[in-house]
Amino acid sequence: MERNTVMRILVVEDDPTLAEFVAKGLREAGYVVDLAADGRLGLDRAAADRPDLAVIDIMLPGLDGLSLIDAVRRRGLNFPVLILSAKQSVDDRVRGLEGGGDDYLTKPFAFAELLARVQALLRRATPAAEPTELRVGDLTIDLLSRRVTRAGQAIDLRPREFALLEYLARHAGRVVSKTMILSRVWSYTFDPRTNVVDVLVCRLREKIDRPFEPKLLHTRRGMGYILSAEPSTA
Amino acid sequence: MAGVWRRRITNTIGLRIAAWYAVVFVLSSTGVGLLAYNLIDASLVRRDHDLLRVKLEEYAARYESDGLGALQDAVAAEQASGGPDSVLVRLVGANAEVRMMSAPQAWRPFNVGSLDDSTPPDGTWAELSSPTDTTTLEVVSKRLSDGVVLDVGRTTIGRDRFLKEIRNLFGVLIVAVALAGLAGGLALTSQALRPLHSLRDTVRTITETGRFDARVDAGPDGDLVDELGRLFNAMLGRIETLVGGMRGALDNVAHDLRTPIARLRAKAESALASGASPDVTQAALADCVEEADRVIALLATLLDISEAETGTMRLALEAVPVAAITAETIDLYEDTAEDRGVTLTSDVAGDLSVRADRQRLRQVLANLVDNALKYTPAGGRVTIRASRAADGVHISVEDTGAGIAAADLPRIWDRLYRADSSRGEPGLGLGLSLVKAVVAAHGGRVDVSSTPGVGSTFTVTLR
Repeated sequence: MERNTVMRILVVEDDPTLAEFVAKGLREAGYVVDLAADGRLGLDRAAADRPDLAVIDIMLPGLDGLSLIDAVRRRGLNFPVLILSAKQSVDDRVRGLEGGGDDYLTKPFAFAELLARVQALLRRATPAAEPTELRVGDLTIDLLSRRVTRAGQAIDLRPREFALLEYLARHAGRVVSKTMILSRVWSYTFDPRTNVVDVLVCRLREKIDRPFEPKLLHTRRGMGYILSAEPSTA
Repeated sequence: MAGVWRRRITNTIGLRIAAWYAVVFVLSSTGVGLLAYNLIDASLVRRDHDLLRVKLEEYAARYESDGLGALQDAVAAEQASGGPDSVLVRLVGANAEVRMMSAPQAWRPFNVGSLDDSTPPDGTWAELSSPTDTTTLEVVSKRLSDGVVLDVGRTTIGRDRFLKEIRNLFGVLIVAVALAGLAGGLALTSQALRPLHSLRDTVRTITETGRFDARVDAGPDGDLVDELGRLFNAMLGRIETLVGGMRGALDNVAHDLRTPIARLRAKAESALASGASPDVTQAALADCVEEADRVIALLATLLDISEAETGTMRLALEAVPVAAITAETIDLYEDTAEDRGVTLTSDVAGDLSVRADRQRLRQVLANLVDNALKYTPAGGRVTIRASRAADGVHISVEDTGAGIAAADLPRIWDRLYRADSSRGEPGLGLGLSLVKAVVAAHGGRVDVSSTPGVGSTFTVTLR
């Protein structure tokens, strides 16, 4: 953890399996997680625990998600809120964001995606100085000159490959899903059927990993990709 | 029971319209009748007055020339003839003495003496009311040369009787007009309400059976009720498409999802049953997640297709530059094409643009290019072209692939169709269906031309 204080996240979700899935993942990522199974409990916990962020399901028993967010905001609590919903339509998304949510994630989702959004929201809430250089093992990425070196050896990357590497390096040690890559590198929100992500990852691997040891870019089957210097996480 | 009430209510509406119709009819006939009656009345009064004036002049002339005796003889002769035009004749001397008085017996109750107190005899009319009935005695007077006053008068009884008959006649006529108006109104409204009855019957059929194929029997006329019927039919058509589309989508979802979910289940089950090492279990679990992701993607595509087909897809239409969209698509597939040994290029004029939803158009092009790359062997080419034509902007994706047999061409748009060579690649059957549905939702169309062994060209036409 690069932060000094431990971040506290409130998860309001009535489905116990999903709630536990989210809580476990967030705890592994180093957060303190409070769980609430319905809207009223969620409001109590929000008022009592003062979380740094809340993950709130829209469809909740007792008090629905939008009303909960409304109640939270009226109490003057301004922590960022990530809305979870099973509804996919644009209308619901807009309603959720207009209702006081800060981001929106449609079920079903990959945990990596949830984590990335949570981190982005927390970063926005507590801005830190932007790094100008990213390091993973002996790989160095200079964000200003856009130069990449590994073990002192310069690596020539195409713009798209650089974008992918930068994204992976910013999330180093954590899994990044194909959907996230697709939306970050190409800003495509739908899934093209040919695996263009696999192709790009393959090319990047060819340049940053093939001539070197240890390997940094790993495939997590069923989840996505991870850039990590520690082979134990592979 | 409810049916009887509903029928009664609609009939009441018909009756009410008919009653209004009859009332208007009666009021206008009454107006015409009153006017005619007043004209008749006035002309009768004038005729009676003219007659009396003639008599007055005649008697005055007789008196002036031949004296009182001659006048008395003339009056007596006339009274004796018993004609219907019997009149009152009275001669009053200068000293208010009655020098002659002749009138039918029935007129005795009139107080003729009161005439002498009234206005001087200058040709004006005096009216005496009968003390016993409603008739009046109209009298006209003239002062003769020797100072005597000659009065000639007559009751209005004949006229009153005639007018009463006319009034009775009008009464009968009004009743007849009211009845005719009511009947005509009923006939007219039942004619006018017939499409409404048809509408009601159609709605009842639909609510009772839940089938949307019933239609209102709307006539070809341009009137409001027919138009309502036609609009209602159009609405039913739209609902039917929506319901049918949703039903179809549900069937397709059930069908399309069964296979991958069965695969998912099989993988999980075999991993469980084998009691294998953690590595094998790990791999099986990864398979399961991948399979689940495919199911989710499939579901999203199916929902997109059904939204596009039923017209519920929301399109954020804007002027989209074709060159930019093409560049984005090439950017997405460049590496893939290179890996496959296929040359992916474009030939698009810089200033072309189409009205479309940007994300959806990207999806359409990506699907077409994706498809083209899959069917084009190494060494081949895929080219995106765009040009302006008479019917809009043509955006085409041309490949040098295997082509499609003529027999298969019409079926490539079917949701579940897969050419034999691609069987087994999941989700492939949906790509072209999605393209077609999304383009149709934009009001455009997709055409395909293909020569087996040479290649295929898919052309999207948008305005």
